[in-house]
Amino acid sequence: MALENFISTFIVVLLPAFLISLSLYAIRVIKGPSVTDMVLAIDCITYDLCFLMGLLSILFKIGFLMVAALALALWAYVLDVYVAKYLEAREVGD
Amino acid sequence: MFIFPELNPLEEIALIIGIILTLIGVFCDIVGSIGMVRFPNFFVRLHAATVGTIGGAVYPLFGITLMSLALNYLGVMRYFIATGAFLTAIAIVLTAPVGSHALARAAHRSKTVPVEPKVCDFLKEDERLIEE
Repeated sequence: MALENFISTFIVVLLPAFLISLSLYAIRVIKGPSVTDMVLAIDCITYDLCFLMGLLSILFKIGFLMVAALALALWAYVLDVYVAKYLEAREVGD
Repeated sequence: MFIFPELNPLEEIALIIGIILTLIGVFCDIVGSIGMVRFPNFFVRLHAATVGTIGGAVYPLFGITLMSLALNYLGVMRYFIATGAFLTAIAIVLTAPVGSHALARAAHRSKTVPVEPKVCDFLKEDERLIEE
């Protein structure tokens, strides 16, 4: 029981750091001067959300959140590649 | 055994390494987000993005793998969390550098981002040589 209390307290103490970092990334998403800046910041937000989902799955004891984290990580890669392809060739392709 | 009486020594070592990796990840998250706001140029911001992805997502996911393997009270669910975190970390460490390299190459070739404070631009000279 002491271990569970310690881990829960540890995760809850770490949560405001995520608030700070996600809001700082969101500033760059909103005012980014070019499209690539916004895409880069969205990538960082997505990878941070993967980490946050890992912590929340330990806190709430729901293991199935990690499947959503894996899907999020692959989705960010697809966004990168599609935006790069569109900027170079002006078409998305297959 | 030493700090937590309900764990054996191997689980305790895994738990402590996982907690240290998670703290490193949170630190790298904050540092990367500050760099993402403060850096002046897109090609410099790629560095902050790398700190935010490799330091801020891959290391703590390996830490979550070790940490959840040590937690007894989760039951069978801990193997689920450990496998998911490990696969996500492998996917991120393979795909994040590829994505950022593709984005940088596209931003340079399509001239959406000016290479403003520069000493020399070898990539542009190579493109001119290829065109001739």
